[in-house]
Amino acid sequence: MTEIQDATPAVHTDTLPAIELVGLVKSFTSHGEVVQAVKGIDMKIAEGEFFSMLGPSGCGKTTTMRMIAGFDEPTAGEVYLHGGNVVGVPPNKRDVNMVFQSYALFPHMSVAENVAFGLKRKGVAKEEVTRRVGEMLEIVGLTGREKRRPKELSGGQQQRVALARALVNNPRALLLDEPLAALDLKLRQAMQVELKRIQREVGITFVFVTHDQGEALTMSDRIAVMNDGLVDQLGSPREIYEHPASKFVAGFIGTSNLFSGTVSEVVGAEAVISYGPDERLVIQVSTGQVRVGSEIELTVRPEKIVISIEAPHGNGSAVKGTVTEVVYLGTATNYNVKTSTGADVVVFTQNATSAGDIAVRGDSIWLSWEPRHSYVIGA
Amino acid sequence: MSARLRARLAPYALLLPGGLWLTIFFVVPLVAMLSLSLQQGDVVSGFSMTWHWQNFTDGISKYHNQIIRSLWYGGLSTVLQIVIGYPVAYWIAFRGGNRKSFFLFLLLLPFFVSFVLRTISWQFFLSDNGILLGPLKNIGLVSEHFHILATPYAVVGGLTYNYLPFMVLPLYVALERVDNRVVEAAHDLYANRVQTFRKVVFPLTLPGVFAGVLISFVPAAADYVNASILGGTQNTMIGNIIQNEYLINQTYPEASALSFTLMAVLLVGIFIYARALGTEEVLEAAAQ
Amino acid sequence: MNEQIDPALLRGLTQSRYDRRDIVKMFGALGAGAALAACGVTGKKAAPAQQSDVRKYWAGKTKGGHVDFANWPLYMDPKHPELKKFTQQTGISVTYSEVIQDNPSWFAKIQPQLAAGQSINYDLMVVTNGIVFTELVELGFLAPLDHAKLPNFTKNAGVQYKTESYDPGNVYSIPWASGMTGIAYNSKYITTPPTSMADLWNPKYKGKVGMMAEPEELGNFGLIALGVNPETSTPDDWTKAAAKLKSQRDQGLVRKYYDQDYIKALSSGDTWISMAWSGDIFQQNLAEHTQLKFIIPQEGATIWTDNMMIPKTAAHPVDAITLMDFFYDPAIAASLTEYINYVTAVPGAQQVIQSAAAQASGSDKKTLEQVAASSLVFPAAADYAKLKHFPAFKTNQEKQQYLSLIQPITQS
Repeated sequence: MTEIQDATPAVHTDTLPAIELVGLVKSFTSHGEVVQAVKGIDMKIAEGEFFSMLGPSGCGKTTTMRMIAGFDEPTAGEVYLHGGNVVGVPPNKRDVNMVFQSYALFPHMSVAENVAFGLKRKGVAKEEVTRRVGEMLEIVGLTGREKRRPKELSGGQQQRVALARALVNNPRALLLDEPLAALDLKLRQAMQVELKRIQREVGITFVFVTHDQGEALTMSDRIAVMNDGLVDQLGSPREIYEHPASKFVAGFIGTSNLFSGTVSEVVGAEAVISYGPDERLVIQVSTGQVRVGSEIELTVRPEKIVISIEAPHGNGSAVKGTVTEVVYLGTATNYNVKTSTGADVVVFTQNATSAGDIAVRGDSIWLSWEPRHSYVIGA
Repeated sequence: MSARLRARLAPYALLLPGGLWLTIFFVVPLVAMLSLSLQQGDVVSGFSMTWHWQNFTDGISKYHNQIIRSLWYGGLSTVLQIVIGYPVAYWIAFRGGNRKSFFLFLLLLPFFVSFVLRTISWQFFLSDNGILLGPLKNIGLVSEHFHILATPYAVVGGLTYNYLPFMVLPLYVALERVDNRVVEAAHDLYANRVQTFRKVVFPLTLPGVFAGVLISFVPAAADYVNASILGGTQNTMIGNIIQNEYLINQTYPEASALSFTLMAVLLVGIFIYARALGTEEVLEAAAQ
Repeated sequence: MNEQIDPALLRGLTQSRYDRRDIVKMFGALGAGAALAACGVTGKKAAPAQQSDVRKYWAGKTKGGHVDFANWPLYMDPKHPELKKFTQQTGISVTYSEVIQDNPSWFAKIQPQLAAGQSINYDLMVVTNGIVFTELVELGFLAPLDHAKLPNFTKNAGVQYKTESYDPGNVYSIPWASGMTGIAYNSKYITTPPTSMADLWNPKYKGKVGMMAEPEELGNFGLIALGVNPETSTPDDWTKAAAKLKSQRDQGLVRKYYDQDYIKALSSGDTWISMAWSGDIFQQNLAEHTQLKFIIPQEGATIWTDNMMIPKTAAHPVDAITLMDFFYDPAIAASLTEYINYVTAVPGAQQVIQSAAAQASGSDKKTLEQVAASSLVFPAAADYAKLKHFPAFKTNQEKQQYLSLIQPITQS
């Protein structure tokens, strides 16, 4: 787990965390075999934070969330909500609420009844229920649809009802399990903004589970990238994107180009892998991180690479290659390049000018980037 | 035939199989029976149509006790079926795991034995000195004259037993269809088990309850096997009367009139029930 | 159809003038009235058969080599030794079916085909004397018997079976077996043997009395208990009998009105004392080692007869009548009686069983001796004197009146 270096102002890690997980493990027995879905997770989620758990399906993110909500009990480890251990406490006694992936609205109740459900169970007075339901429906923009049944609403509206139904209870934390997965692209993007706005408005801790890295990067204060039951990296979106801590994180977040080679020279804070007289990779390293002769892997983001016909100047990385594919994307163009070293590289170029493509398929070109844009992985 | 005409006639042609089926198996017998119910005569000299509506009024005035008793027994057994069947269906649907079909099979297993035989086996089991009461009487737990057979309890019990699967199956289907996430959502929103059941699970299975009541109340109220095997001298149901009129007395018009009366009473009952329960208002009431 | 379609027709066809609901309504309006009037059960009262009818029926009828025989359960040794012998002797094969459970439902089953003049697929059937038999006769559903084809019957049948009031002169039927309806009790529960009809009204047996649901049987017992002979009873007697039976029910004496299952209730102790059929008691004791006893109460009991008859539409009447007569061979009658233990119409069978007993040994001998000596199988003249016949209804109105008095007792 990487240390949090540049926490965003909204996060107060020094105060009591809203949610704290300690050594959390969950095993299931499936077909007589014990499967570990969560293999030991430690994390602190701060008050008021928009926190995402990001990972592919089966990485344990949903199981972790269900343990926070109380639907699953951990095999080992502890769950603290505002400092109190809640292991063994049933979901209806935990002051967190959940927005389910398919919303799980009560189909036999109207919108207002759905939203009022939690407040009524808590024994809130009738007038206050009516008032708070009204306020919440206003926040999510559903005023005037109180009497509708869930099936009479669009997907986005159902989503808002689910959100309102959870938020109206003013929980200590809101858990959202892939809440946008069922929406189409346009609506999903609109809802991302909307969710962020609502979160700012109500100031409640949001724990957001998603497999969509774009969604996580857009909305989160911090992200925990999960893989195979463990947290691979925890940090701000920028940190995770720019400094992926593992090959998995690098591959899962955005597109990454991977290179490997033997360090031939270490000069100050830079290591060099030479392929020939003009071709080399230059990487920023910390003192003692690599030695001459070390086998290393490094990664560079596609938008950091510059394509040129002429050999580049300067002492950054430079590799020769052949363009294998050009994909025009409107705002940008993607180039697939096969390097002289045999690596497949993706390059992402903004179409800032309308000058046309730099190269076409089959062209021999140079790839170059600055040393600070490539990172050693797993060292 | 022009293509256009053919296309226009297609809907009617498509109606034909279903319409024919309905006509042959529903309309024709029903009309025949209605006709018979308005005739007069006897089996030797024949029956003739005299529009004898008195068959209906006579039947009702003679047998209204048995009609009311049938509705009462049928209704009581239906309520008992819900009380017994709901937990069974609930258990299979939510706790059955991957053995659900096995448990359902167990539930249906008695149905591989004939209806009458099953009822007779209960007669054997509940006999005054049988496997149940014999030992109890021997150790003096119940009095020598205690009996279960030939009482309303035996008849209602038999009806409940025999029609239980008709109740459990639709309940099971309804419970099976309840999304577990909706149940979790209720727990998440501070509802305990009882509240979750009352406010979410039960209202969502009301269509299953409705279906179950329909398909078990109607045959239970019209049943004659249980009353004749398990009942005594004061438990005659309208089904017994109709069977007797048809098969023993061969007074077909009276029997048809009684059948129609029973059908009408059940239809009216169902209609009232559907109006009361089949609409969304009740669901809303349950949601409050 | 060519392109020259009348535009008006096309318009008519293409406009959806009727939705499904309308069509159903039309069905109702057009169909119901006509259909209601058309449906019905037709009956036709037949004139009594004359000698000429017998000749006319049997003229041209020849042996077909097969008989389909419909009988009641437990009315023949399941191995059918008598039928095998018959086939050996005559070359006529027999299909024996135990399809008759009770008279009225059997009638309900065969009535439509017989009314339509169609075969019921049986050439020979056994029906009890009583309402159904009378109906079969009145509707002309039965073949008149040609007594020239019944030499064994003429020679061997007991005289009282040739003068039965329900079919004098055996125009349509000859007996299969007779039985008595009397009182049976379970000696496990009742130690003082009952002797009288009054025992069925004894408060000591409250809730343990089994009565029969069949209205004729039940009414008979009410009448006999009042000292009235059912055969000569009047509507006035029926009213009194109904009141007596109703009071028995309302005092809670009656456990239930039983059909064939009375014997099970009596065996299991659900009832202690019950109306019963003579042969059943013997068979039940033999089969299940029960200690049931049958008595003919001092006031009397009833005797009924199950009769063989040929439906008029039978495909093989000659073979059927040959089989009917075959059962009147004393050896065959004895063989049947040994198994079923009901009263045989062939008195000579007693002699056959006695000599068989003399030759047998062990338990067989004992059983055979018991059968030969049983007053239930071979009633003595004194027993016959106590046995009464079922009411003879002169008109359908009388029958309906009787039923409307007796039936409500069992249908409460």
